[in-house]
Amino acid sequence: MKRPLQALLLALTGTGLLHTALLTDTYLRYVKAGLRPALIVSGAVLLLLGLAAAITRDRRHTADDTGHGHDHSGTPRVAWLLFLPALSLLLHPPPALGAYTAARADTKPVAVQKGFAPLPATSPLPLTLTDFTKRVQQDRGRAVEHRTVRLTGFVTPAGGGDGWYLTRIVFSCCAADSQTVKVRVYGSGAPPADTWLEVTGTWHPHGTLGTRTAEAALDARGVRPVAPPVNAYTDDLPLRPSQEG
Amino acid sequence: MDKADELVGVTEGVAAVPHPDPPVRRIRPWPPGARPRPWPPGAVPRPWPLGAALTVAAVLLLVGTPWLNHPAVQAWRTVCLAITVQALPFLLLGTALSGAINAFVPADLFTRVLPKRPALAVPVAGVAGAVLPGCECASVPVASSLIRRGVTPAAAFAFLLSAPAINPVVLTATAVAFPGDPAMVAARLLASLATAAVMGWLWLWLGKETWLRPLPRHRHSGHRHGHSRRTEFRLGFQHDFLHAGGFLVVGAMAAATFDVTVPGSVLDAFSGSPWLSVLFLAVLAVLLAVCSEADAFVAASLTGFSPTARLAFLVVGPMVDLKLIALQAGTFGRAFAWRFSTATTVVAVTASVLISGALL
Repeated sequence: MKRPLQALLLALTGTGLLHTALLTDTYLRYVKAGLRPALIVSGAVLLLLGLAAAITRDRRHTADDTGHGHDHSGTPRVAWLLFLPALSLLLHPPPALGAYTAARADTKPVAVQKGFAPLPATSPLPLTLTDFTKRVQQDRGRAVEHRTVRLTGFVTPAGGGDGWYLTRIVFSCCAADSQTVKVRVYGSGAPPADTWLEVTGTWHPHGTLGTRTAEAALDARGVRPVAPPVNAYTDDLPLRPSQEG
Repeated sequence: MDKADELVGVTEGVAAVPHPDPPVRRIRPWPPGARPRPWPPGAVPRPWPLGAALTVAAVLLLVGTPWLNHPAVQAWRTVCLAITVQALPFLLLGTALSGAINAFVPADLFTRVLPKRPALAVPVAGVAGAVLPGCECASVPVASSLIRRGVTPAAAFAFLLSAPAINPVVLTATAVAFPGDPAMVAARLLASLATAAVMGWLWLWLGKETWLRPLPRHRHSGHRHGHSRRTEFRLGFQHDFLHAGGFLVVGAMAAATFDVTVPGSVLDAFSGSPWLSVLFLAVLAVLLAVCSEADAFVAASLTGFSPTARLAFLVVGPMVDLKLIALQAGTFGRAFAWRFSTATTVVAVTASVLISGALL
């Protein structure tokens, strides 16, 4: 790889990182939010390195020619591959993982919780998919019985049988370690895959509530399309972009 | 990822527009045989990569869009990009450290600090791995610069293996992922240290320098006539980063391909048998290439598997995985990478089984 191209590659990779982490929040599609400072610093360092390489090129050439003509200009061809993530970040960033991945993943096992606090009286009650699953399968007090809850997630078509899945994909470091949380929804026609929805409804009675036999499922009363939350890769209650006006 | 997407949708891409390059060539970044000496003196890069890259980019921008948006291709691109983006800061840190060792640390420092006898230097270097925070991508360039600085390869390899597994960040993540189970953290620490030390000693016993690609000691090592140390640092940094970064992308592509093509339900088939499940999770750790800071959470989610199998996943993962094999092949040569990775996997699985028998 020639030296001007190396400079270009460094600068492009740096710009790509800065674009994804500093100027936009597309980095949240790929890695956890905590990595943002590291990405910004890396992007800045790479960009500066690229600029430095471009500026000092001419001087270096004369130094090369006098003695060590073979050194750093011989970057192996595999470095070309770095253009792919750089250009991809800049020109055509792929979307966050969605229904395709969720449909092929097993449901993330829900941690065992010992005690359950009483549920707030709000109705409909906003719950995360994980909390809803815990209440259905582990809460012996059956607090969720007859309660109207509101869950947020995206649509994943179910392979067979009735209904579809309301889904969240969570990861702890990057999208490569993603896990899926699913709640089956009955009583409403399946919207297109990957649509973000807010579903209001009650527990779909199947199995014994408060035990493992209970299905994490919802009889939908109302289904409302929503904008994808900022924190799409978590199973938290949705954070919305602030409303204008 | 644009060019790489061509690999997944190769049939569509080729059918849509006849391409000057046979698709297979884009899988190999170089023709076979050209690889063992990636930077021969005075090598002039052949013109095809630029032409190919521009053609592929143009083709993708003009006609590639429909299949580029196929859900499977998008998931592949997302995972691939996620692994690359996640690893870049750590790779940069490792390269910076490696560059700093080359440019600023006196050549004899490590030989003075480490015990003279290689057999003693190995465990010391293994324990020293605890000071390099971060995940495994950082350790390969650092180990390479240690060897260039005269550290015996066996000790450098012990460092390479232990650093990503036993540093405080990773151990804390493990403790968080396995709440109320400190034995798992202790088992991971001990099994990883044992594996690193055994691999170092194994290299002393059986290793041959000829398996290593000759490391260009004189290249950008140390201060050199006519260059300031700063320039020296910057150039070493630039070279190492571009080099390792390319291999990182290769590894990320391989791991993403596995991630997207193999359904999660395969896991269940293996969780029943105690011995198969250990081997299966060890292989899974290699294929998934999850960062060592996150692999404890993945292991915690594999609830159907025995603690021994999950420990094997935690011990093998930071030491051997697709992106590490690619990085090692790039840094030390292919002959080294496959031997070393195979041996490490065997040793790591053995260590996990023994330690979990004692602790878990």
